[in-house]
Amino acid sequence: MAAAEEKKAEEKKVEEKPKVEFKFPPNETQLGIIAGIIAALITIFTGLPAVIKAVGMIFAFVWCADSVRKTSKYGLGTGVPSIGVMGTGYGVVGALMGLAFARFGNIGQFYPGVLVGVVFMGLIGLVSGFFSNSEKYIALKIPRLERAMMELGMAGTLALLLEISIVTGSLNFDAVVTRVMETGVIAFMFILSGMAMFHPYNACLGPDERRERTLMVPVEISGLLCIILGFALLILGTSPWGPWDPALLIVFGVVIWVVFYTRFIKTCMKECYATVGTGLIKTIE
Amino acid sequence: MTIEPELIWIVVYVTIGGMLGCLGAHLLPVGGAPAAMGTATGIATGTVQIMLGAVVTGLFTAATVSSFSNNIWLVSLAGAVGATIMIQVVMFMANVLYAFGCGVVPVSGRVAVDPITKAPQTAYKTPQTDGHGVPDVVFISGTVGGFMGGFGGALMYFALLFYANFMYGTAVIAALSIFVANAILAAYNIRGTTEGYWDPKFKKMPKALIGSFCVSVLAGIVVMLATIALGGGA
Repeated sequence: MAAAEEKKAEEKKVEEKPKVEFKFPPNETQLGIIAGIIAALITIFTGLPAVIKAVGMIFAFVWCADSVRKTSKYGLGTGVPSIGVMGTGYGVVGALMGLAFARFGNIGQFYPGVLVGVVFMGLIGLVSGFFSNSEKYIALKIPRLERAMMELGMAGTLALLLEISIVTGSLNFDAVVTRVMETGVIAFMFILSGMAMFHPYNACLGPDERRERTLMVPVEISGLLCIILGFALLILGTSPWGPWDPALLIVFGVVIWVVFYTRFIKTCMKECYATVGTGLIKTIE
Repeated sequence: MTIEPELIWIVVYVTIGGMLGCLGAHLLPVGGAPAAMGTATGIATGTVQIMLGAVVTGLFTAATVSSFSNNIWLVSLAGAVGATIMIQVVMFMANVLYAFGCGVVPVSGRVAVDPITKAPQTAYKTPQTDGHGVPDVVFISGTVGGFMGGFGGALMYFALLFYANFMYGTAVIAALSIFVANAILAAYNIRGTTEGYWDPKFKKMPKALIGSFCVSVLAGIVVMLATIALGGGA
């Protein structure tokens, strides 16, 4: 009797499960335009506090993860992590080029010259996508691969530029070289940026993958990155706003991480068919 | 404004390095997900990750040598040797794990007789699988691939360090980034698993090299423009 009731209750529970909440309004094109404009604007205003730059960074990473999702959706011959690492690679080259051009055409604290790197990386991504997709060359035949790889290059460059801008507080090439490259902070940046790009789709891919749910993960990883960048900023002491700037960034990172981590787990629990505890690891007898 | 020959050498070396990286990636034993279950020949991860692991080690050795020498051959060969040692250790350890952990012998799935040692392969292959581990010929092919990739990576590093006048860390990270952009084209071309130079997929290699050439030239131009913007290579 009790078992039947339990079963009934379980069935009822299962019926309630498929409920989708948290819609993410912009589609892929809209997200690209919105995130690109916001991230580009925050990139060229270097005098902003680190927290605002972190907001721009989150937008850039959401765009990156969305581009990786677009690229990998049709099943490539390579793993999703490779695409993320490639996005970071584009980002580093683009950021170096942008920084080299930063001193041209600046008006006070605004450096529109850095966007040259973004444009060039878009071009390299486009060429790379063309050769991968063209019938005459590698012939992957994935719809809109060119566009996805172009967006990946642009978004990766913006994300890397914003990270560099957070740590150094400026876009001066020599300052970046001594404070980011030679101190080894770039190693953290390289792999955590890669994580923020490839991990969302790598972890969520499958038949029930949903864009809104996947795009919560890059925000969460950006929170982790904010914490690490905050500590780097605190130790290097490069912020023009004093030690409050990194402290605020660390708090912001922790809040973002906690909020989006719990939200992601709750969404997963809600949208899955059932969650079953397996207990401790069992051994085969 | 005059263009100095050093700026042209940046583009030439970055192009050669990128194409060598793309070529080297085609020679590696890439197993992918099937190799993780022991059902395909090669190392159990994607092309880019294997190549990246080898080249990072190669750049370590190249950077060490470049701190006391500015000979292009010495720096490039140091990178090549570092990458070769890394890929060989990985292949050897994969064999140890497959043989003593899974209980399968290294055997190729694409050929009946090993092209170099003439050892029979089909008799030792588990039915329904595509080979296991890293057999002799795959080991040799992977060694050559690691050597080429490491040489290419170190060549790019040399150009960035001595011609573009970047600092050590910047040159390493930029060389690595350009390398990844080329390795991805090889990964697209391989599509999953490959065994090395006799694999049927190796015949498609020239097409990826054309793509790699164009991407590397663009990347070289990007570095050249950055060098000019920073003060004409000085």
